[in-house]
Amino acid sequence: MSSTQWRNVFTFNKYSQITAQAVRSSLKETQRLAAEKRGFTALRYQKWENGKGGEQVILVPEAESGSKKMAAV
Amino acid sequence: MFARQTQTAVRAAARPSTILATPPQARNMATLRELELRLKSVRNIEKITKSMKMIASTKLAKAQRAMQAGKQYGAANAEVFETVKEEAASGRKLFVVVSSDKGLCGGIHSSVTKATRRALANDKESPLADSANATVESDSPIMVVGDKSKAQLSRALGGNLVMTFNQIGRDVPTFADAAGVADLITKSGAEYDSVVLIYNKFVSALSYEPSAMVVKGEKSLKDSDAFKKYEMEDDFTKDLAEFSLANAVFSALVEGHACEISARRNAMDNASKNASDMIGSLTMQYNRGRQAAITNELVDIITGASAL
Repeated sequence: MSSTQWRNVFTFNKYSQITAQAVRSSLKETQRLAAEKRGFTALRYQKWENGKGGEQVILVPEAESGSKKMAAV
Repeated sequence: MFARQTQTAVRAAARPSTILATPPQARNMATLRELELRLKSVRNIEKITKSMKMIASTKLAKAQRAMQAGKQYGAANAEVFETVKEEAASGRKLFVVVSSDKGLCGGIHSSVTKATRRALANDKESPLADSANATVESDSPIMVVGDKSKAQLSRALGGNLVMTFNQIGRDVPTFADAAGVADLITKSGAEYDSVVLIYNKFVSALSYEPSAMVVKGEKSLKDSDAFKKYEMEDDFTKDLAEFSLANAVFSALVEGHACEISARRNAMDNASKNASDMIGSLTMQYNRGRQAAITNELVDIITGASAL
């Protein structure tokens, strides 16, 4: 994708996250594990209309597959 | 145990007098049993709150370090917009309320919710009051990070809600979280000239206060004279606006997270103190009750013995 065209598809933040993910997966094993923690997000969002919430959407689905035990707080 | 043995002895020895004696004794025993149960449950609660306090204390150190690092992002942001500050954000404001999903942390969520309500009501104590950004439209869109504030705001200002986020704040927030939030804000299609982040500012390990951070949107950046001095191309201005939003969101998220952990530590500390006070007073009551029951039974035995 040429440098002028990505702006039509996604925002700068998305662009920086994609490039960051590329850098992280190219690191050596130990550094990569440390870096993956910094890139982890389990964010979910919900659109609201007239005081009513819509469905919850997971932003990065593959990140959810590694289910971790949750602490109480 | 002495009480129960003497009771059976009394019952065997002097039946007529126990008909009158057992009701008050039964009352005392019932009260004693209640007290015992209460004592057991309060002891359990004390153990739980103590362990939660320990966990929060260990998390606090890490959260504070992350906050120091994260605030640099917010500070770097502010540098760029130094020149633009005079033309304070007029026009439509989008509120982003930063809290979290978990409770048992004192007044964290309600403090942010109240600040947002004050801001929308243009109250004189609103977090925006001291800057020149005074007037806020009552139908300003609101986005909430965190289920607790979402519940509170959906009751108070449900009509203004545009989007909510959750699953942030389990661990220290990452820039990926902030970038995701900023991305969704920019793509959401809500109309705004600037974004106001309402979050809890970390004053000390014992206190926090709600505060507002204003981030200018792309359009108002382009229109402001001071920014034109940088002579940036439109594309880069858009990138900068988006990235600065992500920076500001990140700084607010980590600071809010640190405040939440410290508030939880304090709340659990208070709860443990209250629980141990309760244990002290309940134990006193229990012992007094137990000794009164024993004394009554002794009196019964003695009067019974003297009657024979």
